[in-house]
Amino acid sequence: MAIERFLAWLQDLPLPTQIRESAWMFPTVETVHVFALVLVVGSILTVDLRLLGFTNRERPFSQLAREMLPWTWSAFVLAAIAGALMFTSKAVIYFHNIPFRIKMLCLALAGLNMLMFHWIGVRHLPSWDASAPPPRARFAGGVSLVLWTTIVATGRWIGFTT
Amino acid sequence: MIEEFCDWLSATRLSLMFQTADWFVPTVQTVHIIAIAILLISVYVISLKLLGWIRSVQPLAATVAKSTPWIWTALCVLLVTGILLTITEPARELLNWAFRLKMLMVLVLAGCVALIQWRLRADPEYWSESAGHRWTGRTLGAVVLVIGACIVTAGRWIAYV
Repeated sequence: MAIERFLAWLQDLPLPTQIRESAWMFPTVETVHVFALVLVVGSILTVDLRLLGFTNRERPFSQLAREMLPWTWSAFVLAAIAGALMFTSKAVIYFHNIPFRIKMLCLALAGLNMLMFHWIGVRHLPSWDASAPPPRARFAGGVSLVLWTTIVATGRWIGFTT
Repeated sequence: MIEEFCDWLSATRLSLMFQTADWFVPTVQTVHIIAIAILLISVYVISLKLLGWIRSVQPLAATVAKSTPWIWTALCVLLVTGILLTITEPARELLNWAFRLKMLMVLVLAGCVALIQWRLRADPEYWSESAGHRWTGRTLGAVVLVIGACIVTAGRWIAYV
């Protein structure tokens, strides 16, 4: 298969080989990935819980989002870079790993959910910014909560199935 | 002494039950990581405010009051899931220096957070009312930032050392 040949070539490049064979490089990259992911998940859950009405109910949503989102994006970029490095070190194994595929699917769905929330939910933001969000925005918050929990769970499961 | 305790614990019926359930460790670790995410983001927002790196309309005392139940609930969940993981694999945790370091740092983090909360409860402006308090607050904020990252690092390295 062409994709497998490409992944085999990718993981045999000098940097992925070094990460795979070094005693400290993989754990270090993994630590950066976990640390960044923890910040991504923590900041997204804070926003999701506000959408669902569990926390920060008296705070305008826009204020909370402005405070959280720069950290979410910075941490996400870091998590993505570290995650890509981990993937390249064992590309063929990860490609065939079911939890890894579910994690990637959930990441894509979480991105799609965020885009839809941005296009649909935020359009009427001034009308609910300081109060309870409409059902559509609450739904987006709930979906995000489930997806990010699944991303953490499948991420952990990768370690037990590779 | 600890080795004997680990041998005894890993042979108990409860430990054996956890060890034989393939889903148990990944599930408990997932809950553990989500609790760390909630704890870390809550204490980091407080730290960044103490350091003046987040400009927010909400005063520090209000942020701390809001996050207090989340911080202590997350710490309780971490404790419970940590105990479950230790029962499952006692030697992996209790004989590991990364685990011991992590426990020590969790205690320091909890102490720093408790100090920040305690001072604000008596005086909502405590950490900004004098140059000395501001300096101490910034130092505590920096310590919490570094220790938070070190806790995650030590937690991950338990699997490798």
